[in-house]
Amino acid sequence: MSIIQEFKDAYKGKVQLPSEELLTKTTGLMQDGMRARAMGDYIPPEALGDARWTDELILSTWYMAETGEIPEGLNYKTGKSDGGFDRLDFKYLPESDWLEHSDSITTKLDLNRRGDAKNKLTTDIPWYGGGMSYGSVSVNVMMSRARNAARWNSFMSTGEGGYPSQLMECKENVITQVATGYFGVEEETIQAAPIVEFKYAQGAKPGLGGHLLAAKAGEEVAKLRGSVPFVSLFSPFPFHSTYSVEDHSKHLDWIETVNPTALLSVKVSTPHDVDMVAVGSFYAGAHIIHLDGSYGGTGAAPEIAKKNIAMPIELAIPKVHKFLQAEGVRDRVTLIASGGVRTADDIAKAIALGADGCVLGTTDLVGLGCTRCSNCEGGPSGRGCPWGLTTTDIELQEWVQPDWAAERLNNLYTAMQYRLRDILRQLGLSDVSELRGRTDLLRYMGKDEAARAAGKAAGIGLEEIE
Amino acid sequence: MLDSTTGDAALAASSALTLDRFGAESARIGRELADQYHRYHIETEEVDDVDPLPHRFLVEVGKFGLAKFIVSELFHYGLKPDVILSRPCTYGVFSGPVGGFHPLPKLCVGCLRCTVQHPDFVKVLPNPKRVALGDSYTTHGHIAAIDEESKKGLVPVRGQGYRGRFGGPGFDGMLTDMSEIVRPSRDGIHGRELIGTSVDIGTKPMHLSFDEEGNLQGKIPNMFTIQVPFVFDVPPGDLGTAKLAKVLDSTSKRIDTLACMKAADVIERGMDSPNIVPVIPKEKPEMVEMFPAARLIELDGWDKDSLDAARLATDALIGVRICFTEGWQDRLMKAVNNRVDVVHLNADLHGRGFDDGRFISDLLKEAHMLLIEKGCRDMVTLIGAGGLVSADHLPKAIISGLDAVALDLPVLFALQGRSHGSLVDREQVRGTLPKKMTQEWAEQRLTNLCASWRDQLLEILGAMGIREARRLRGEFGRSMIVNHLEDEAFEGIEGYVSGGVI
Repeated sequence: MSIIQEFKDAYKGKVQLPSEELLTKTTGLMQDGMRARAMGDYIPPEALGDARWTDELILSTWYMAETGEIPEGLNYKTGKSDGGFDRLDFKYLPESDWLEHSDSITTKLDLNRRGDAKNKLTTDIPWYGGGMSYGSVSVNVMMSRARNAARWNSFMSTGEGGYPSQLMECKENVITQVATGYFGVEEETIQAAPIVEFKYAQGAKPGLGGHLLAAKAGEEVAKLRGSVPFVSLFSPFPFHSTYSVEDHSKHLDWIETVNPTALLSVKVSTPHDVDMVAVGSFYAGAHIIHLDGSYGGTGAAPEIAKKNIAMPIELAIPKVHKFLQAEGVRDRVTLIASGGVRTADDIAKAIALGADGCVLGTTDLVGLGCTRCSNCEGGPSGRGCPWGLTTTDIELQEWVQPDWAAERLNNLYTAMQYRLRDILRQLGLSDVSELRGRTDLLRYMGKDEAARAAGKAAGIGLEEIE
Repeated sequence: MLDSTTGDAALAASSALTLDRFGAESARIGRELADQYHRYHIETEEVDDVDPLPHRFLVEVGKFGLAKFIVSELFHYGLKPDVILSRPCTYGVFSGPVGGFHPLPKLCVGCLRCTVQHPDFVKVLPNPKRVALGDSYTTHGHIAAIDEESKKGLVPVRGQGYRGRFGGPGFDGMLTDMSEIVRPSRDGIHGRELIGTSVDIGTKPMHLSFDEEGNLQGKIPNMFTIQVPFVFDVPPGDLGTAKLAKVLDSTSKRIDTLACMKAADVIERGMDSPNIVPVIPKEKPEMVEMFPAARLIELDGWDKDSLDAARLATDALIGVRICFTEGWQDRLMKAVNNRVDVVHLNADLHGRGFDDGRFISDLLKEAHMLLIEKGCRDMVTLIGAGGLVSADHLPKAIISGLDAVALDLPVLFALQGRSHGSLVDREQVRGTLPKKMTQEWAEQRLTNLCASWRDQLLEILGAMGIREARRLRGEFGRSMIVNHLEDEAFEGIEGYVSGGVI
């Protein structure tokens, strides 16, 4: 190809696998820029942030991913949403009663509380990675999350989109998902998984199923999902084979037949009767009940569904926790919360409200550079995330190299675990499990105090979000 | 139909109804019925902007910094075109002939990659002109959403989760419920499975009476059906131009709904037709005679004498517009007790009652419950307006008790109009529509908006497992109020006060 033609192609932005030089240049600029922004070398970008993820929260997450430490001078605890986690704080003990900061403060999470013969799984941290399917994110992102999960003796979920073969290197830490479209559900991957997750619904689009826009359903994605390339895919909510707890139980039995040792997780959203749903799932045989609140992330969802359908996770956790207690089964099931859980402080608050642990999704992506611009589904370019996160575009996905990304996630988790221990010791607790349901250790901040706590939060203000 | 009334014995014998014949005949009838069936659908088509909103973002590039960067690139990468021509934007902001020296902010989606890659010379800022659109209630976010819906006619779909405040005032404090199981599928609700959005306008009889021979006694109920639970309201303020009236007329015909207009305008413009609802001053009930084609005529305010006079002069349904001012409950009950067919309730454009400032959802619930308690809810159709500026407000208003919603400001913004000044008082609204607006363009924009809002209503109904918009009316149990949920969740937590407003 002539140099002139090369220039013409480059000018037209012809998409191809990036050359070594281009990869080095682009990733170098992105990584240097993220570092400079996180370190405060420049003022926060004026258009960064929203009420839930303020500019400071995004930059502090970048800082933690960069350094493995808690930032000074940036609010890393709360957003500016004026409710839920952002209005809650802890009633810390006087400093004289604080425990020493120590690795002996336990942050482990037991996932099998049924006392049956299945896997006895314990994570080192009370959170794991939520489902983000192949197609909604690149395989590089999945690999980085899986490798990080392995480091933390934790897990990440494949989401509903199949199990890329590369993930097999981390199979002990990969949860596979069975959702309403049954995309990519294979016997061998179910057999490989320590936990199998049934996704009934997703918090950001409860009752609407999954949606992968055509632009992101490329050749490889379609192959794993058993579909036609570049055709929009709907995961057609609900499970059409489930009309009762008994039907639900049959689902779980089916997985047990295929993989007798796997733990069974049931992911549901948060309707008004979520407490009944949770109890039903327990009696059907679930080890983990995973509640996904309405402020959760998504690769694509109708705007009307976000927020308007079902309830935020902060409001669902105590409802379910109390109901499971009243039913006398609370200690036999692990209650996991997700959907709007952003920080170590959010995790601690969720646990104090009654959860055992949390699932993170958006936090991982923010740690890798996400600015929450909401173009994950393809955006006007049709190519997906310009940061290379929520895309399968052959060029863009290369901006996130698994080793670099896994290292950032490891740093982020290190800082988050540190912060979680900091909270526990200031409450006089030496084990995160002691925090569960301790609403007596929480306090509700006044409006002004919460606003002050949120920091200056420049960028697009609360009332100005589009 | 299978005719069972033929008396001819021979014919009856020769055409005895065998099982085979019954099957064939049933199949034939089924085919005939299927051929007649027309599935309601709103045809959408993406239309270009004629007066686009200000861009979301401004992009500022330091020329010196960029020049310095390019020189350094040339030095490092020489003639490697893929490297030196690579841009930090996949949306084309820097794709013009001179790249970053003349960025194209209209293409910017705010991913901010450029500001991270080049923090020393690229800035992306929210556009203050965009942020200044609307007011504190009808925000630029609402206007941008309406603009997008009217352009494409689709349900807006985006990545990432919710970005706004936790709960909030007004409709933001109301959530809709969903069902984990037993409901239509999402692809089904826009396709093979039917969720009805039609609404009956008029009075339903509370019971039917028959004489000894089984014939229906009394007057057959006078009612009709529209296909969507929203109508176009009288354009507020100075927006009621002849040009806009024509657009409302043709669009309401196209999607099978109604358009309310001032009676004098209907007469002046010769627009009397079944889809137009003339609104006549209550002092001039005799005007109803001038609208022989109208199916529904509204009196602008409650007055028994006016109602009686109007009823004598027309066979059309009679509606009464009632504002949420002091004594509205009394006027509502009097109107219903006097067999008004439709009550059109109005709050201000921020959705507040005129006296007590209560939000429209609470006022509608009170109106709905008042009628339920008196056992006469089905005797009247409730239409409501005020503060309904977003697709989610439609199901929430229906849950609060309305049969149908009346659209006011969304029409202005669907047509890329601009408001000037207050968006609180209907009479004080001042706005302009684009000069380049054509009838065809405007009708398609408004049609697209209606299709998008209807489809979003289907999403909400689908998530609940409700198959008819009519069944959503007054279903408070299908909503969750954030304040109530907070009370349940945070009760006992130190510092928590119901409502959280401290």
